[in-house]
Amino acid sequence: MTMTTTAVVPPPTQAGAKGRSRNGLHFLRRWGTIIVIVLVGLLFSKLSPYFPTISNFNNILFSMIVSALVSMGLTFVVAAGSFDLSVGVTVTTVSIVTALLIPYTGMAGGIILALIAACLIGLVNGLLVTYARLSGIVSTLGMMFVLGGINQYLTNGYQVPVAYGEVAFRYIGQGRVGPIAFPVILLALVFIAGHILATRSKAGHYIGAVGDNPMAAYYSGILVYRWVTVSFVLSALFAGIGGIILTSISSSAQPVGGEGYLLEAFAAVFLGATILGKGKPHLLGTLLGVFFLYMVSSGMNMVGISFATRQLFNGLVLILAVGANALLNREEIHLKFI
Amino acid sequence: MSVPLIALLDLRKDFSGVHVLKGIDLAFEAGEIHGLLGENGAGKSTLIKILTGVYAPSSGQVLMDGKPVTIHRPIDAHRLGLGAVYQDSELVGSYTVAENIVLGNEPRGPWINRRRIRAEAVGIMDQIGLTLDPDRPAASLTAAEMQMVTLATLFHRKYRLIILDEPTARLSAPETRLLFQLIARFRQQGISIVYISHRLNEIKELCDRATILRDGMVSGSLQRHEIEEEIVTKLMVNRSMAELDIGNPGLAQDRVVLELDGLTTDRLSPLSLTVRAGEILGITGPLGAGMEQIERSLGGLGAYRGDIRVDGVVRPIRSPHDSRKAGIALIPEDRRKQALFPNLSLAENVSLPAMSELAKLGLIAHAAANAYANSVVQRLAIHPQAPERPMRYFSGGNQQKAVIGKWLKREARAYIFVEPTSGVDVGAIRQIYEIILGLARSGAAVIVISTSVKELLALSETIAVIHHGAISALLPRADCTRDSLLAMTISATAPSVAA
Repeated sequence: MTMTTTAVVPPPTQAGAKGRSRNGLHFLRRWGTIIVIVLVGLLFSKLSPYFPTISNFNNILFSMIVSALVSMGLTFVVAAGSFDLSVGVTVTTVSIVTALLIPYTGMAGGIILALIAACLIGLVNGLLVTYARLSGIVSTLGMMFVLGGINQYLTNGYQVPVAYGEVAFRYIGQGRVGPIAFPVILLALVFIAGHILATRSKAGHYIGAVGDNPMAAYYSGILVYRWVTVSFVLSALFAGIGGIILTSISSSAQPVGGEGYLLEAFAAVFLGATILGKGKPHLLGTLLGVFFLYMVSSGMNMVGISFATRQLFNGLVLILAVGANALLNREEIHLKFI
Repeated sequence: MSVPLIALLDLRKDFSGVHVLKGIDLAFEAGEIHGLLGENGAGKSTLIKILTGVYAPSSGQVLMDGKPVTIHRPIDAHRLGLGAVYQDSELVGSYTVAENIVLGNEPRGPWINRRRIRAEAVGIMDQIGLTLDPDRPAASLTAAEMQMVTLATLFHRKYRLIILDEPTARLSAPETRLLFQLIARFRQQGISIVYISHRLNEIKELCDRATILRDGMVSGSLQRHEIEEEIVTKLMVNRSMAELDIGNPGLAQDRVVLELDGLTTDRLSPLSLTVRAGEILGITGPLGAGMEQIERSLGGLGAYRGDIRVDGVVRPIRSPHDSRKAGIALIPEDRRKQALFPNLSLAENVSLPAMSELAKLGLIAHAAANAYANSVVQRLAIHPQAPERPMRYFSGGNQQKAVIGKWLKREARAYIFVEPTSGVDVGAIRQIYEIILGLARSGAAVIVISTSVKELLALSETIAVIHHGAISALLPRADCTRDSLLAMTISATAPSVAA
């Protein structure tokens, strides 16, 4: 064990001394984010008696529905190794399409056609990123502006109301089952379906493989372009479901406003990637990430913290989440700056 | 006998007029392990790239089961069942060993059944004798384990011919044992293996037959019992081609410029070397013997212990930036990726490291940069003389000259060349040799790391042979002959050298 030469790089320390701190580190990696979420929850409970109540919990769940759907969709794209900046505007587009179609096609027809429109948006994104070889950021940034324009054309800048008589349609966003809002149940069902898709289906398995090491996936005979495209379709489809629920909640479609979901979604996905120390996006993490953002927002609201501060906090959370994620996936040489 | 699995008929390939393959006739039988030997530049890698669809042959035919096939793209090779394992691992790091082994061939249906995937993978691992925890994430495997798992994935892809390119380069002795067992299982399944290695004892132990390539042609095919060092050496060394009439006249001065003192990495036992001003030290050895560790340490690309001294001063080198500041210039083998900006012009490429010298008041002086680029083009005879042309349009040889050009203004104290003529067209080799000798003449210390014996004999004043991370021979160029040097590199035990 004698070392006659001077050490330029410290030699690896003895395993015994390092073992405990490595275990601690491992524990932090796995549970750190969840501990933070619980601690923040406890802090708000201490600060406001109205925070830890069933009705507030219900409120938080209700307010996060659309954001959660958008974030879950985005999870598939990020898992496939790309970006989708058009998810937010897709919510608005699908919302408008739904509101415009219902008078002509009825509820079922309107919803189905609106979801098909969502899938088409995702399909175009996917084809641009794969066969047309555009980067995910550039092509979906373009799609974001294109959809923004389409939204203006379709609405002339005015909101599109849904007739008061569409009771069944309004139930989607406004109905209740006992104490629970119906859209929260929808969110739970979509989450379960998405979770099964991500963890138990070939689609989810291959999307994860492509995102991790596209070369290995290619050599394994996986159709890489197909699964990247599927991830974009899933992303748009989830955003579309969010758009329909949003239309039902407000009985109308707004010409703008969906963009706001984009940053929340990215924050949730990257925050979610650190949950359970996975270091890569997963749906449960994303859902908890969205919950965390909306819980903090609700708590700050109750404590009386200004909107500006909440905005600032959300930005910091995004940076910290991505930073923590980068720590989880430490590469030897870091030279990627996208 | 039966129809061979793959037969190559008069296969030729030229790159812009340079004939790399000059009519290869070769057959790989089903279920045989076929060794492929040859010096660097003999055409091995071109041949593999044709078989795996990276290059299309200029003329000639590939027959599979006696029928002609076309392999234009990698996917064609994949469909025909021709596969290759390259050095870089092709695994999904976050998936388990089992998931990786079965990836792309999961049981039918839209759903994933992890238990069945695991069972299937365990079955394959049993079949090929691979003992690893199937639930470990691939990212936690060692390089050697990754290679084993990569092989296991091939098994599932139902390949009929697998090309292994220097598979033992990164493996230890027991790992090599395991690899050989794996290969034996592959053969039992009727899969053909093309085994490329510089290590003769491995070829001798493993292969049913061996083919030796020389200068783009088959110089001989040997049966197992014929694979002997003298015969192989004789077939590898190209005597027909006139020796390059270039040689190192002895440029070394007395002053030591570069000193490695007890340089140690996890694949390099303490290694000490000195290079004097004007001296060209050639380093060779089988792939994976540790040569790349010297280059990585000096270039600031990998951690090391021990001292690196330049002009007698210890320089800790932790990053490429440190290396540059210490006056060490590394000219890597993978120039396209590691040393050039393919979309920038030749002028921009060569003037980039010299920017601070060429700048005026902190701003880039374009006129000065262009004048400098022109002087480099003249001095190194870069062809075509088009400083505005994007780098990627230049040939391999001219790209190599441009990398050297990057350093002319800064005047490094020591130059490390790695395979300086790989991918370089024959015509430019001589010019590059003269540039390297010119650097030595101007008083720089030069290390040339190369697997080409011919190259080292042309350039070096001193030659070091490395085996298993240690110097197995260090001798003046004058004491080496082609045969003795080649023998030293392909056999682990260095024979005593007759002067």
